[in-house]
Amino acid sequence: MHLWMDLDWQPIWLTLRLALVTTTLLLLIGIPIASWLAYTRFRGKSILEAIISLPLVLPPSVLGFYFLLTFSPAHAVGQWLAMYLDVHLLFTFQGLVVASLFYSLPFMVHPIQAGLENLSPSLREAAYTLGKSRSETLWRVLLPNIKPALLTGIVLSFAHTIGEFGLVLMIGGNLPGQTRVASIAIYDEVELLRYDTAHAYALLLLAISFGILLAVYSINKRWVTF
Amino acid sequence: MRSWLVVVLFFLGSHLQAQKLRIAVAANAQFVVEKLQAEFERQTRIELEPIVNSSGKLTAQIQQGAPFDVFLSADMTYPNALYQSGQATTKPAVYAYGVLVLWASKDLDVSKGLALLTSDQVRKIAVANPKTAPYGAAATEVLTRQQLLGKLQPKIVYGESIAQVNQYLVSGAVDAGFTAKSVVLEPSLQGKGNWAPVKGAAPIPQGVVLLKGASANARRFYDFLFSPPARAIFQQYGYQLPSTSSTR
Repeated sequence: MHLWMDLDWQPIWLTLRLALVTTTLLLLIGIPIASWLAYTRFRGKSILEAIISLPLVLPPSVLGFYFLLTFSPAHAVGQWLAMYLDVHLLFTFQGLVVASLFYSLPFMVHPIQAGLENLSPSLREAAYTLGKSRSETLWRVLLPNIKPALLTGIVLSFAHTIGEFGLVLMIGGNLPGQTRVASIAIYDEVELLRYDTAHAYALLLLAISFGILLAVYSINKRWVTF
Repeated sequence: MRSWLVVVLFFLGSHLQAQKLRIAVAANAQFVVEKLQAEFERQTRIELEPIVNSSGKLTAQIQQGAPFDVFLSADMTYPNALYQSGQATTKPAVYAYGVLVLWASKDLDVSKGLALLTSDQVRKIAVANPKTAPYGAAATEVLTRQQLLGKLQPKIVYGESIAQVNQYLVSGAVDAGFTAKSVVLEPSLQGKGNWAPVKGAAPIPQGVVLLKGASANARRFYDFLFSPPARAIFQQYGYQLPSTSSTR
C-alpha cells in the first residue's frame, strides 16, 4: 500500500496529458485530411497516403533521429523556430506533442478515411441536392454517420500515444514533468532495479490501455446493433 | 541437398559468433575500446564484441544474467556491487582514471570554465543521468559543490549515458555538455566543439571485473588491459593510469 501512496504520479498524468492534447489536435487535423483523401483524386495521392502511413512501419528511432536533427537549433528549421517564434521542440512537452502528431497521424486518418469511403455516395449527393455546402455536409451528415470510425480513430491515436517510447527516449531528455512519460519512467525504474515502482507504472498503463479498448469494443458493438 | 547445407551453415555460423568475447563497456570508454579491440585482435586473433551503455544500465543487465564476459565500468561502485553479489569473479581493479570535461559548441569559449554555463548563449546543457552514469554523477557533484546546480537546473537535460550526451552535442541539440576526455580526444570527433577539463573534478577511478561464466579467453583480455600496449592506448585517449604495481 505504501507503494501507491509514495508513487510519483507525475509520469502518469504527463502521459495522459500528452495523449489528450495529441488526440484533440489530431482529430482537428485528421478529419480534413481524411475527407480530402476520401473524396478527391489527384496526382500524387498515393505518395501522400504513403507518407501518412509511414509511422506505421518506421522504427520510432528513425523518426526520433530525424526529429532530433530537424528540431536542433543548429539546423535550419530548429533555428528558425527558435529565432522567430521562440519555439523549442527538443526536450520540451510541445516537442513531444509535435512528434506524436506525426507518430499517431495514420491511426487517426485511416479509420476516418475508411469510414467515409464506406458510406453510400447517395448520402452525400442527397445533402448537396438539398443545398448543403461541402463543410456542412461533412459535419452534419457524414461525420455523424461514421461515429464508430471516429471513435476508433480517437482511441487508437490516444492509445498509440500512450505507448510511445523510442521517440521520446531520443528527443525527450528525461525531464520530470516535461518529457518523463510513464513508458520512460518504467524503463528508468527497471534500470535502477526498483521493480516495485516499475510494476506500479506498468500495471497502471496496462489497466488504462485495457480499459480504453474495452470501452471501445462495447460501445462499437452497441452502435452496430442499434 | 545444397539448400540444407546452407541452413546448417547458417546455424553453425551463428554458433561460431557466440564464441566472441562480449565486453560490457561504460560509454566513456566506447572509443578507446575500439582501439583496444583492434590491438587485442591483432595480438590474439580472439574477436571482441563491445556492448556500450551507462555503467548502471550494464550492471542491471548483468544482474539479470546478461551473457557478458568482462565489464569495464566508469567507476568502482558498480563493479564492487557485482563482486559483492557474486556476479563478478575478480575484485574490481582500476584499469584507468577518467577525466571529466566540459564540451561546448564551436562558438563558445570554454576557457571561462563552468561560469560559461550561466551565460545566455548556453540554452541547454546535457548531463548523463546521474543515477546510472558515473560521469553524470561526477558532473552533478561538481555543479552542486560550486552552487551552480540550482541556477542551471532549467537548462539541464539528461542523457541515458554520456553516449547520448555526446550525440546531443554533436547534433547541436544542446550547447554544452559534460563528457569524458576520452570522447573529445577521439580523432573522428575533432572540430565538433571546444572542450576543457572541469576544474575541481577529481579523476574518476574506473574498475574492471571478470564476470561469472566468462570464457577462458576473457582472462586474456583482462590481462591485456594492464599490458604496456593497452596502457599506451589509454594514455593516448587522455586517461590517467594506475601505477603498474596496483592492487590487482
